[in-house]
Amino acid sequence: MDGSTNNPLDIGIFDTSDVISIIISTIGMYMTFKKLGVNKLFSLVPVYRDYKFAQSVDREDEGKIYCICNLMVQGIAIFRTFFIRYFTEFPQLDIFVMFALIILSAIFFIYSARVFFGLCEIFNMKKRWVILAMIAPGLELLYFGFSKKITPRYIEPEDTDDKEAAALSGYLAKETNEGLSVNIKSRTVKNHFKTKTLLRDIHLNIEPGNMVLLLGGSGAGKTTFLNAVTGYEAADAKILLNGDDVYTRFDKMKYNIGFVPQQDLIRYNDTVYRTLADAAALRLPSDMPRKEKKERIEKVLDIFGLRPVKDNIVGKQSGGQKKRISIATEFISDPSLFILDEPDSGLDGILARDLMTRLHEISRDGKIVIVITHTPDRVIDLFDKVIVLGKDADRTGRLVFYGSIDEAKEFFNKDKMEDIVKMINREDEGGEGKSDELIEKFGEVRNGEI
Amino acid sequence: MEKSRVKRIHHKGRLTQIPIYLGKFFRMFIYEDDWKVVPMAGVIAALVAFVVGSNMFKTMEGTTMGSLGITCICIWNGFFNSIQSICRERSIVKREHRSGMHITSYLLAHVIYQAFICVLQSAVTVAVCVVAKMSMPVIGFITPWFYLDMAITVFLITFAADMMSLTVSSFAKTTTAAMTIMPFMLIFELLFSGRMFQLSGFAETLTNLSLAKWGLNCLCTQASYNDLPMVTVWNQMVKFKNVSIMGETPIEDVVLYMQDNNLVSDFNLAVGHNSMIDELNMTAKNIFNSWINLGLFACIFIVLTFFFLKRIDRDKR
Repeated sequence: MDGSTNNPLDIGIFDTSDVISIIISTIGMYMTFKKLGVNKLFSLVPVYRDYKFAQSVDREDEGKIYCICNLMVQGIAIFRTFFIRYFTEFPQLDIFVMFALIILSAIFFIYSARVFFGLCEIFNMKKRWVILAMIAPGLELLYFGFSKKITPRYIEPEDTDDKEAAALSGYLAKETNEGLSVNIKSRTVKNHFKTKTLLRDIHLNIEPGNMVLLLGGSGAGKTTFLNAVTGYEAADAKILLNGDDVYTRFDKMKYNIGFVPQQDLIRYNDTVYRTLADAAALRLPSDMPRKEKKERIEKVLDIFGLRPVKDNIVGKQSGGQKKRISIATEFISDPSLFILDEPDSGLDGILARDLMTRLHEISRDGKIVIVITHTPDRVIDLFDKVIVLGKDADRTGRLVFYGSIDEAKEFFNKDKMEDIVKMINREDEGGEGKSDELIEKFGEVRNGEI
Repeated sequence: MEKSRVKRIHHKGRLTQIPIYLGKFFRMFIYEDDWKVVPMAGVIAALVAFVVGSNMFKTMEGTTMGSLGITCICIWNGFFNSIQSICRERSIVKREHRSGMHITSYLLAHVIYQAFICVLQSAVTVAVCVVAKMSMPVIGFITPWFYLDMAITVFLITFAADMMSLTVSSFAKTTTAAMTIMPFMLIFELLFSGRMFQLSGFAETLTNLSLAKWGLNCLCTQASYNDLPMVTVWNQMVKFKNVSIMGETPIEDVVLYMQDNNLVSDFNLAVGHNSMIDELNMTAKNIFNSWINLGLFACIFIVLTFFFLKRIDRDKR
């Protein structure tokens, strides 16, 4: 006889132990949320509370999988309870369901362990506490939530600070038929439960023949900005390259934009020449005579000093050469806008300067070259202009400054670009946290108010 | 205003991009030692032929074991051919897609290249079976040569498995993830091959989704499974001939009687006749049915790979 059916705590598909476990974990989570600065009422919402819990202990990605698995395990268990008749009739179906439950439970177990590792980190507790969490998570939450000795290392900052983010500049870049005209209203991403603004209010014009430095601290939105400009990730924006709208004509314009990512995205098992030849075949117009294509490949080999190694395998080249091959592959289509994300990372000073000099020469050919680098001061004389991006109080990427190098030095009253980055970085990142102030100041300068 | 300014420039289309990627893959075949999968197929085939080859095409049991062995070789080869081929260059594919590469061209180049490797592996596998002196029939049922019939089946199993792992490679973000999924696929194929384990009901239905079932069926059909003798009963009788019942050994009497009258072969054939499986009847319909199913699987996996690759732009940094 099943004694549990007479227990007053048995509710539908839950037995007594389930009910006790749910009550304990709810109270534990309520108190833990209180300590972590999360809305306590979330602890009463099944499944979503697990996501909020994971998010609050800095394990958001793990939390999503944890919640999905949890939902699926519960769903299958409930389904099985209601349709047990069919499972008795078809034992194979039961085996299949049990197999699925085992896999899902294993994933659930691993991801819940990861989330609890996050909890231990936040509360500065030893990782062995995860063992208790795996046996009785509710009890651990109860202990963490009630114990006065256990306090969080930090409380996750809210999206907004006490400070107000800098106001919008109201400035619009002039739409021209030459060069690059950027008018980004905003770039947002929707991530499951919330919308986040990554970039806002960025307006500028870059004339042909300029080599531009893109400066900003970590997470300031440099790559997001470049992806928006190149049309890879469309923003609420209008981007014109030599008068053509990059977004509406992306299929054609993509050949006119070269983007060299930070990693060398080239196949290591091919020869240098074949790598360039294939890139030429893909990116150059199909009606271009073969002779011209060959000449273009030869020219690019010369520009980047790759002729001596043209028959060698890419994977056997040095780091500097691989970087040049990677750049040459993008440059083969002779783009008017050439963007490079940290091309000098991993290169010593001499190699970095040599590379930047080649890029400078390319810009003198009427191209726009935009470069992200974290060591700008060793090659600053090669740049014509600088774009400075920084995070405002809402942690949104904003334009702090755009102008010539000298104007930048005057505006920030700093001689070194690295000092400028330090000035705009947030205080919790070791910076001076003057980003909002400078964004507003630059807006006033642009609007002629200063 | 802008429209008139943009010069009509045409770039390589879907068809003309295929040779570019084929060239890349064939160079990879040479430079990155991808060719090693061909002799490896020979080594694995030799091992299997050594272990299960002696009774293949001779008895029902030997043919089942041998066919399963060959099917496993094919699935193994197919899986290993392409399990890492897309995921290892995922970021390169994403980058190239953004700068003009057509997913269809890239995928078709992969399909052609993988088919080429599968053809080589199939040829090597059949050749090894011949060298290992498996007693194969000479005349084929579909083509004039049995070797060719067998090679087509071996190719289709290998190719379908290859396309299956290409699909995994297209959605797995890393090579580690792809290699983690592969054992599950292998276990599924083995468990649901339909001949090794007695399955019924829903589980039996599931066997229709395994490449191993169709490969095994096809090889058994081509080996004329239903016309072969079954030796299990005879072997058991010989094994238990000394079992005594009320002071007598009736099994030994039967064994001796059959041996003395040269009835063993007839007995084994009669047992085999009673164990016939309809779907293994040596008919063109059964063989084509298996071939078509294997081909269909390959096509479905190619389509799935296409859809997974189309989502590559959504990859985060």
